[in-house]
Amino acid sequence: MALLEIKNLHAEIDGKEILKGIDLSINAGEVHAIMGPNGSGKSTLCHVLGGRDGYEVTKGSITFDGHDLLEMETEERAIAGLLLGFQHPVEIPGVKNIYLLKEALNAKREAQGLDEIDTFSFMKQVRELVASMNMDDAFLHRGVNAGFSGGEKKRNEILQMLLLEPKLALLDETDSGLDIDALKVVSDGINRMRGEERGIILVTHYQRLLNYVEPDFVHVLYKGRIIKSGDKSLAHRLEAEGYQEILEEAS
Amino acid sequence: MNRTGLPEWLSDALPEQAAAPSQIAQAARSQIETIGLPGLRDEEWRWTNLRAIQRGRFAAPAGVGADIEPGTRLPLENPVRLRFVDGIFQGVPDDLPEGVSICALADADESVREAAFSPRPAPSVDNPNDALVTLNTAMAREGVVVDVAANAIVERPIVIEWLDGATESVMSHPRVLVRLSQSATATLLEHIETVGDQPAWRNSVVVSSIAANAALTHIALGLDGESRLTTARTFAELERDARYHSYNIQLGGRMIRREYDIHVGGSGAHTDLVGLMMPRSKQLLDTHTRITHAAADTTSNEHYRTIADDAGRGVFKGRILIEEDAQRIEAYQSSNNLLLSDNAEIDAKPELEIYADDVSCSHGATIGRLDQEALFYLRTRGVPLAEARGLLIAGFAQEVIDELPLPELRDWLTEQVEHRLGERDVSGDGNA
Repeated sequence: MALLEIKNLHAEIDGKEILKGIDLSINAGEVHAIMGPNGSGKSTLCHVLGGRDGYEVTKGSITFDGHDLLEMETEERAIAGLLLGFQHPVEIPGVKNIYLLKEALNAKREAQGLDEIDTFSFMKQVRELVASMNMDDAFLHRGVNAGFSGGEKKRNEILQMLLLEPKLALLDETDSGLDIDALKVVSDGINRMRGEERGIILVTHYQRLLNYVEPDFVHVLYKGRIIKSGDKSLAHRLEAEGYQEILEEAS
Repeated sequence: MNRTGLPEWLSDALPEQAAAPSQIAQAARSQIETIGLPGLRDEEWRWTNLRAIQRGRFAAPAGVGADIEPGTRLPLENPVRLRFVDGIFQGVPDDLPEGVSICALADADESVREAAFSPRPAPSVDNPNDALVTLNTAMAREGVVVDVAANAIVERPIVIEWLDGATESVMSHPRVLVRLSQSATATLLEHIETVGDQPAWRNSVVVSSIAANAALTHIALGLDGESRLTTARTFAELERDARYHSYNIQLGGRMIRREYDIHVGGSGAHTDLVGLMMPRSKQLLDTHTRITHAAADTTSNEHYRTIADDAGRGVFKGRILIEEDAQRIEAYQSSNNLLLSDNAEIDAKPELEIYADDVSCSHGATIGRLDQEALFYLRTRGVPLAEARGLLIAGFAQEVIDELPLPELRDWLTEQVEHRLGERDVSGDGNA
């Protein structure tokens, strides 16, 4: 059984249909890239998967790890193992990173019937991850994303993923706005998450990230539909020829 | 204007003998009979109704209540405790830090008492907006005078414990004078607590003068208490290079009105005013601040936050006046406010009056609900909705708490706020 099974998904915002019949199947161990021009529905797909208010699914189904995803609250999806990495991570001054990490980890542990993590093990694990993301410990005591640069925010998203170990990581434009050093750190982090047990979806506008994180499958999203799927060579074609050629070929 | 004058019970309570020098007391007594208590038509009282006091029939306390202790222990290092039970001063402690002298107001020399009743900026004795100071002047018999000698660095916090409500329907009008001589440093903390469930009204005035290069940290910490009615006025006068740091934390009370008048009167002087008010149930928490920049090269920084829950009301009015000759001023004010329920209400009003031309001044006020983006973000990390709300509310308060100078008190307050949020009834929150 696939980890994520999207069937004929239609979704709208304010009565305007954005997703017009998406079919997508993702297995554990696979990395999928979803590419598409602006306005193709990439972010809408991420928000629908995350359970954001205001997005209405009008048709179709999403099954995640055997659960009907559309019946689940946002936090239930996270606890079940679907984590969303934001294109624009939200700044939450006053809520320290360390609190969020601990709350999130304990919410997951509680659902698994485990005790709260002890402070010592928690801090050890978090400090190692912080170092691995080339971040400073001081960041843990700052507000969540508050005053962070674009690169720091994206690193923080990956840090959370590494700690929370989702079954499926859904990364929305994680590479946009990153300079090359930050891109390397972020893609290293993503590569470390790769594994037999985990699916990863990279939603991206650019091919650049895929030079660092090699996808197993590439899908082209256009006007709310996946119009072409292939292996990583499709991404190279997109880079070389642009979207236009492939759009014409598909239509 | 047709004013109603003082309620009879209050008029009857005016004493023959007060702590103020007799001329000052007499002038106050004759004025207060005419102007009465402030009402909604007085500009500074538009949002705050004193009906609960008007109808209160409060009486001066009969006993002394020497064995009353505060119910809450604040985490303070070896504090100097000045205890008032229902406004009655319980005496000067034996062991005072070097450079600190303290005496009961009633025992002070006439010149000292005159200073206690002559704050700058001077409130006018016949202005209805200032009527509660006039009333305090006419009524005050109890109080304390704290003097800090030149160059003294006082590490121990000087704590005024206002323990209100020990006896039924009691009122008090205490007066406090705090004077820091040149280059002195001290911390004054008002620990405000209701010790009984009886309604009690305290109308207190704190007058402080901060000499050249001296620094006063003034924390007013009002613990929650449903029956407490407070009208409290603070005056601070700053000379050259003086600093006044004010932290006004109000966690509850039936009606709490605090006013701060800061006279930044010497060049190089600076004041910070930081505030957090958390009204809930049907509480009204109100702070009015007035900063006057009367000298050049002075700065002020003001940051107030209100979190109103249930049918709680918060009021913040912040006035900044920059006088004509006060050039090169930097004055910043922000007021951020969070409404947690449909029945809560917050009024926030900045007021800038600038007569100088070389001034850098800004203000901003926001009133809103919890950030939906931030809630969604937290939930995508697996944090349940109710906890996500709690994290955001606590975070909003924490940004003010983080500004407090005493680390143990900061941690204690963080816990208090978390405890408060734990008590919230979240069933009616909807998407708020």
